[in-house]
Amino acid sequence: MTDGRVGEPPGSPTPSLEARSLTKRFGPVVACDCVDLTVRRGEIHGILGQNGAGKTTLMNMFLGLVRPDNGEIAVNGRPVVIDDPFKAASFGLAMVHQHFSLIGPLRVWENMALGEKGRIDEGSTVRRVRELAERYGLDVDAHARVDDLSTGQRQRAEIVKCLLRDPDVFILDEPTSVLTAAESVELFRVLRQVVQEEQRAVVLISHKLDEVLHATDRVTIMRSGRVVVERPTPGATAAELAREMIGRDVSLRGDLSAAVGHLEAPVEGAAPAPAGVPPVAKGRPVVLAVHGARAVGPDGRALLDGLTLELHEGEILGLAGVEGNGQKALGDLLASVLDLREGTVEVAGRRVTPGKAGAMAAAGVGMIPEDRHVCGTVLDMSVADNLVMGDLGAVSNRGVLRRRKVLAAAHRLIEEFEISVGSVDAPLRSLSGGNQQRVVLARELARSPRVLVASQPTRGLDVGAIEYMTARLRRAAAAGTAVLLISSELEEILELADRVAVIHRGRIVGEMARCEVDIDRLGLMMGGQAA
Amino acid sequence: MTGLDRASGVADVVPVPVPPAPGPSLSSADDARAARAARARSVAGTVALYVVSLAAAFAISALLVALTHGSPAKVFPAMYRGSLRSFGSLGYTLDNTGPLMIVAVGAIVSTRAGLFNIGQEGQVAVGAMTGAFVALKVHPAGGPVLVLALLAAAAGGAIWAGIVALLRFWRGVEVVISSLLLVFVAEQVLFYALSRTFLLKEHGAGGATLTESDQLSSKVQLPRFGTYPHFNFGSGLLIAVVLAALVGLVMTRTTLGFRVRMLGHNPVAAKHVGINAARLGTVALLVSGACAGLAGGVLLTGQAYRITPTISNNVGWNGLLVALVARNNAWVAIGVALGFGALQAGGGFLSTTGVPTDLVNVIEALVVLAAVFPPALQEVLRRRARRSQAVAGAAA
Repeated sequence: MTDGRVGEPPGSPTPSLEARSLTKRFGPVVACDCVDLTVRRGEIHGILGQNGAGKTTLMNMFLGLVRPDNGEIAVNGRPVVIDDPFKAASFGLAMVHQHFSLIGPLRVWENMALGEKGRIDEGSTVRRVRELAERYGLDVDAHARVDDLSTGQRQRAEIVKCLLRDPDVFILDEPTSVLTAAESVELFRVLRQVVQEEQRAVVLISHKLDEVLHATDRVTIMRSGRVVVERPTPGATAAELAREMIGRDVSLRGDLSAAVGHLEAPVEGAAPAPAGVPPVAKGRPVVLAVHGARAVGPDGRALLDGLTLELHEGEILGLAGVEGNGQKALGDLLASVLDLREGTVEVAGRRVTPGKAGAMAAAGVGMIPEDRHVCGTVLDMSVADNLVMGDLGAVSNRGVLRRRKVLAAAHRLIEEFEISVGSVDAPLRSLSGGNQQRVVLARELARSPRVLVASQPTRGLDVGAIEYMTARLRRAAAAGTAVLLISSELEEILELADRVAVIHRGRIVGEMARCEVDIDRLGLMMGGQAA
Repeated sequence: MTGLDRASGVADVVPVPVPPAPGPSLSSADDARAARAARARSVAGTVALYVVSLAAAFAISALLVALTHGSPAKVFPAMYRGSLRSFGSLGYTLDNTGPLMIVAVGAIVSTRAGLFNIGQEGQVAVGAMTGAFVALKVHPAGGPVLVLALLAAAAGGAIWAGIVALLRFWRGVEVVISSLLLVFVAEQVLFYALSRTFLLKEHGAGGATLTESDQLSSKVQLPRFGTYPHFNFGSGLLIAVVLAALVGLVMTRTTLGFRVRMLGHNPVAAKHVGINAARLGTVALLVSGACAGLAGGVLLTGQAYRITPTISNNVGWNGLLVALVARNNAWVAIGVALGFGALQAGGGFLSTTGVPTDLVNVIEALVVLAAVFPPALQEVLRRRARRSQAVAGAAA
C-alpha cells in the first residue's frame, strides 16, 4: 500500500481520476463527445450505457490504448498524458479486461510475473498471489494452467493480477458478463472491500441496471458518446436509470427488460408470456432427441454426463444453467464438432453419428454458435461465401461454383435478413458484430432446419440487434422449427421459451413449462440441488 | 484464445449504424469509387515498397562486390545478359522457371488448406528419384515412358508428402516439423540409391564411377521448342503454366477449392459444414507433394538428363518462396516464378564472369529477400492494424 492512501477520508476533495472534456472520433463516428468524469477515492463509480455509448473508448483512453483527440485526463488532480498502458499503470490505473489478458498455456503465477522487471522468482510470486487471494477471499490456484481454468476462475486470476500491481484506480469492463450470479456477488464483495478498506477507486462499466443499482455509489450514464447524467446511485430506481440510458421511456417488461439486463421482472415471476408464442408443443412430434449423451474433454473431465433431452416441433426450449455446466459441449455436439463416448442423437427420428463432419447440419440441425468467430463464420472469406457455405450444392454445378447463383443467393439473404453490407465480396471481418450474427442466422435459416440451436444468440449485441434476433427465433418456431435456446441470461430464456430445462454438470436436472416456472425452484436446480 | 480470436472478437464493436440496422445497402457508386481509389492507393504503395526494397538489395550487392574488389558496374549488366537479353538466355530463364512454378503451385494448395508443407526440397528429390527409376529401368519403346516417368515422379513426391499427412492425421505431428525433417531423410535415400548399381548408380566401365545415374535415353527427355542459339525452351514450362492455371481455377471456381480455403481459414467451421479435415487435408498434402515430385521429374527429364545428389538444387526452397511472394495466388505465382527464374539464370551467368560463386549466392539471396520483404512487412502491418482497429472497435 502506498502511504498517501492511509487516513485519507472517503470522498476526499481531489478526485483520483478525472476526464475533462475528452473527445475521440473514429472516422465519422464520435465515440466520445466532451466527456467529463470524476472518480473519487473510496467509491465504486458505475458507467452505464448501451453498446456503442462510448464507455469502452473512454476507458481505453484512460489506459493509453487510444489517444484522445481533445480534452485531458487528470490523475489525483494533475493533468497527465497517457500514451501507453505502461504509463497508465505507472499512474496507478489498472484494468480487468472483458476479454481476459491472461496467456493460456502459462500457469497462473507465470502470468502474474509477466511484465515484471528483473529476475522471475517463482517462490515469491506464488507467495504474493496466495497472500492476496487470502486477503480478498479469492480462490485462485497459483500453479494451475490458465487454459484449465473456468471463466470465473480466470477472472479471479485477472483480478489478482491487477491487485498485485497495487493500483489506485481499478477499472472493470462488463465484469459479470462471463460470471454466474454467485460469482458476481463474490466479485462485488471484493470490490467493496477494495474501496472501503483500502480507499482505492473502482470504475465499473456495465449495461446491467441491477448491477449498477446494487454495486455502485455514483453512476455516470452515457448515451451516444455523451455523458447524459452523473448522480449518486442510492435513491435511483431502475426505471430512471433505464430512461437515461436508452433515451426514451421504456417498459421494463418484455423485450427491453431482457435487453438491458434488468432482473426484477422475471424474478418476481410477473412477466407473462408474450403474445404470439405458441403453447407448449405437447403432442407434436419430437424432432430432436438426445439420449444418455456422455462426452469427456481432453483433460478427462466429463463434459456431458448422461444428458437426455427431447425437443418438439415448433417449440422453443430454453436451456438454463450456470455457465460451464455442459452448455458448450451440447452446442458442440449439435454442431458436429464433439464426439460422444456413449449415447445417441436422433433428428426427426433418424440416428445421426455424433462428431462426424457435417452430419448434424445434413440431418437438419441449424446452428447459431456461442462464438460465431470460431465455428459460425470464416472471417477472412467474403460475405457471400459465408452466406452460401452451408450448402455449396445449391450454388454449384458438378463441383463448379456458379458465380451468378452465389450472388443471387447472397443478395436474397441480405435482403431478407436486412444485413447491412458494403459489398458481398467484402471479407466478413469488415462487418459489425450484429451483422455478422445476421449472416450466421440467415445461412442457418436458409436451409429451413428442423432444429435450430441458438447458443447465447444475443451475447454482445445491442438492443436493436437483440430485438431482431428474438423476433427471428419466434418466427422460426412459429414456422415449425424446434428451437433450442441455450442462454446464460435467465431473462432471455423466460421471455422466449415455451419450456425450460435446467442443465447442471452435464445433465438435465429438471424441466418445466414456461407457465409453471418458479424462480426459486429454478435457482435451486441451477445450483445443482434437487427441487 | 489466440490473438486472432481477440482481434476478431472486437469486430463486434466496430461502430455500427444506430440500430435497428438499416436495410440492405449494396455498394453505391460513391462507395465503389472510394473502394477503387483505396485499392489504387494500396497497389501504388505495394509497388513503391518493392522498388525501395529491391533498390536496397542492389545497393548492398554493389557494395559487397566493390568490397571484394570486383566491379559493381558490371554485375547487373551481367545478370541481365544471363537472364533476359538474348533469346538463349531467355530460354535459360524459362527453363529455370518451370520447376519453380510447379513447386510453388503445390505449396499454394497445401498452404491454402492451412497445412504448411515446407518439405518440397525433399519431395523434389524423391520425385526425381522415382522418375529416374522408371525412366532408366522401364524399357518399352515409344512415348509413354516419358509420361510414365513423370507420373512416377509425381507419385514419388506424393508418397513423401503422404508420410507427412499420415503423421499429421494419425499421430498429430506438426506438418512443418515432419515435412522439414523428411527433407534430410530424402537426401540420404537419394544418396543411397545413387551409390548402388542395382538401384540408380551409373553403370561404368571401370570402378571409377560417380554417384550419379546413367544418362536418360532421348526417349525420356522432355521435348524442346526451338534450337540453340535461337529462342528455345523446354516443355516443362508448359506443364507448369497449365498446372498453375488449373490450380488457380480450382481454388477460386470450384467447390473443392472453396472447401480447401475454408479448411485453411477456419477448420472448426469447416467441420461444422461437413468438411472432413483429415481427408481433405491429406488430399491437399498429396497434391502439394505430387507437384514437388513432378518438378523433380521435370528437372530430370528437361534439364539434367541424369540424376545427381544435388538434383533439386534449392528448387524446393525457392518454389516455397515463390508461393510466399505470390501470396498463395496461383496466377500471380506464374509471374513471380518467372522473376525467380531470371534471377537464377542471371546468377548462373554472373558466376562465369569471375565473381566468386559465394558472392553470387549472396546477391541472389539478397534479391530474393527483397522480394519476400514487402509481403512479410505488409502482413505484419495488417496484423497490427487489425489489433489497433480492435482496440478502437472495443472502444465504440
